[in-house]
Amino acid sequence: MKARMLATHVALPVLAIAVSAQAQAADFDWMKFKGKTVTFLANNNPVSQALLTYKADFEKLTGMTLKVDGYQEQQMRQRLVTVMNANSDEVDVFMTLPSREGEQFSAAGWYGDLTAMAKNDVAKDYDPAGLSQALLKAATFSGKLTSMPMNLEGPIFYYRTDIFRKCGIEAPKTIKDVEAAAEKIKACDSTVTPFVSRGLKPAIAYTFSNMLHNVGGSYIAGGKSNLCSAKGKEALDTYSRLLRDFGPPGVVNYSFQQISALYRSGRAAMAFESSNELRTVMEGGARLKDTGLLPFPAGDAGQVPTTIGWGMAVSSHSKQPDAAWYFVQWATSPEVQKKMALQGIAPPRPSVANDPEYRKWIDEEPVRKEWQAALDVFATKGSSEVGYPIVANPQSREFIGQAVQDLILKQKTVDQACADADKALDALIALN
Amino acid sequence: MSDAAATLTQDRQKLEMAALSAPAVIFTVAMIAFPVVYTIWLGFQTFSSTGKQSFAGLANYAKLISDYEFWNGLWITIALFVLSLALQLVFGVWLALVLFHAKRLPGIVRSLFISPFMMPPVVAGMMWLVILDPSLGAANYILQSFGLPPSDWLASPTWVIPTVALIDSWQWTPYVALIVLGGLQSLPPSVYEAAQIDGASPFKTFQRITLPLLLPTIVTAAILRSVDLLRFFDIIYITTQGGPGNASNTLNIYGFRVGFEFFNIGYASALMLTLTAIVFGAVLAFNRLRGAVAW
Repeated sequence: MKARMLATHVALPVLAIAVSAQAQAADFDWMKFKGKTVTFLANNNPVSQALLTYKADFEKLTGMTLKVDGYQEQQMRQRLVTVMNANSDEVDVFMTLPSREGEQFSAAGWYGDLTAMAKNDVAKDYDPAGLSQALLKAATFSGKLTSMPMNLEGPIFYYRTDIFRKCGIEAPKTIKDVEAAAEKIKACDSTVTPFVSRGLKPAIAYTFSNMLHNVGGSYIAGGKSNLCSAKGKEALDTYSRLLRDFGPPGVVNYSFQQISALYRSGRAAMAFESSNELRTVMEGGARLKDTGLLPFPAGDAGQVPTTIGWGMAVSSHSKQPDAAWYFVQWATSPEVQKKMALQGIAPPRPSVANDPEYRKWIDEEPVRKEWQAALDVFATKGSSEVGYPIVANPQSREFIGQAVQDLILKQKTVDQACADADKALDALIALN
Repeated sequence: MSDAAATLTQDRQKLEMAALSAPAVIFTVAMIAFPVVYTIWLGFQTFSSTGKQSFAGLANYAKLISDYEFWNGLWITIALFVLSLALQLVFGVWLALVLFHAKRLPGIVRSLFISPFMMPPVVAGMMWLVILDPSLGAANYILQSFGLPPSDWLASPTWVIPTVALIDSWQWTPYVALIVLGGLQSLPPSVYEAAQIDGASPFKTFQRITLPLLLPTIVTAAILRSVDLLRFFDIIYITTQGGPGNASNTLNIYGFRVGFEFFNIGYASALMLTLTAIVFGAVLAFNRLRGAVAW
């Protein structure tokens, strides 16, 4: 199994990068590529939005021009597929989710190899070893470093402290507690949706994976799809039951937009959604004082939160990978990541997470403290396995989502849903 | 000037005109032909998940026959096409008649009615997604205000296609109405005068005169809408992404996902060419029908 457990150490390669980097830093000149234009294919999400606030700083520092080609996530991938299939050099740097497309893009040869650049061409204060080693490992395929982490994120458990108090419920510690809380809230306050999480087919794997790992399940065992194992069935049953019995009507079309809107409006008591949504959820301030945040409560295997991060990759077709690397380096530097952190982008660098100015910002609101505490758990215990760790990972998410939707809509039994999914997924695994 | 000299001058002028327009003609033909030829070529290729490409012959087309998702997509595409087209033609004709007979502020009334199809489909999709949200949307609030049970709308495998058809009809019925309105305005008044003299009722006049005379216009509207309906994509992509399950996974949505999410551009091209053939077939059938009802 190729699961990338974030707690696993990768000290040696990173240490090698760090030692070599110190030797090279003295020769580093930010103005080396003055006059060049770097094209950045960006996902128009909060991470890139926060980064691009400082676009002018990059251009002033390097004398380069940054051309931003920004799209929504799916459209960005379409653009990338078109550009890369045409072997075009139109894109120098692109955003990527290693947990989703890392295996696929790497096998297709779309990532430039950053290993040597991160070793030999770094500024004095870049500190590559200070980046989350786990995220660096998650972005390393066949020994090649393919992207540099931009942020740290994962699904987080939002709950309404006022409703819990009113209904006499403690903050849940286990998945069973979540079910019990949902049951009590349903009886205690019929005006709110007890629990909401992702029900939209392609989006389900992001939150479901956390449930599967917490109960002790795995996607693959012995080279075969493992959804019909006892733990796989437990995860499928529990996740779908929570949404079917305690979720909002129409939850099969729910992704982050709908979940955040429902919770922010005060109509959901518990929501399991991305840590990146904190800013959206807190918009208007209505939820600022009545929200508690936790990593998803434990199952038989404890807490194994899903932890991923967007990365910046250099295109293998770029004609100026060195100049592109300067942009990647600037964007993932401690200075820029601190600025982004102050805009609510969880930093992938422990040094930034512990920075006094960032800590002051965190301490301003109790909800931010809980958010950071959960992120600390993500950084130490997380798994970046979202869907099957195979080349066809995006397609595997379809079948996971289909199984969960079949159960939410009561179209199949757990045994039928997992068997159908395993059959389709075994065929995908065989192609790997 | 002799005849021979005049012919020579004319030939030379023709040649010069051809030479001057050639770049534009070549550019236009290339812009149309290249994507089509390239897609046909892609349809004979197979791509692995890693983007590795190899010649597949007719394998992609053979795969269509045994692909459950293809047949499911085809069925959904046809169901959506039939339902939407029927709604848009019926209500389009009705709306055209209302606009035709509108006496007060006809300009304002027409502008108001045609406004939906001026809205970008993505905006329309987002708007209806909010309105039809089963928890927060206005649609269920209105239903419940009248004591009616709420609906899951786009989240129900049973209701998703009728709901999408309703959204599309809301947007494009005014377009059909405008076309039909143009047809109504060109009908000869003498026929109506004769019918009035013969004492025909308004319903009989509509049934025996207006509708038969309007048929060529209605078929033209049907052709224009058919092309769009068979290629239906944007509203579904915005509202359901083909779900719940695969209940709204039209051929276009399926082809898009195969190509751009699963990277199998070859199979996606085969799917899209098959859809193109279906669209051509429908247009040809409607064209024949138009010939049959022409007057």
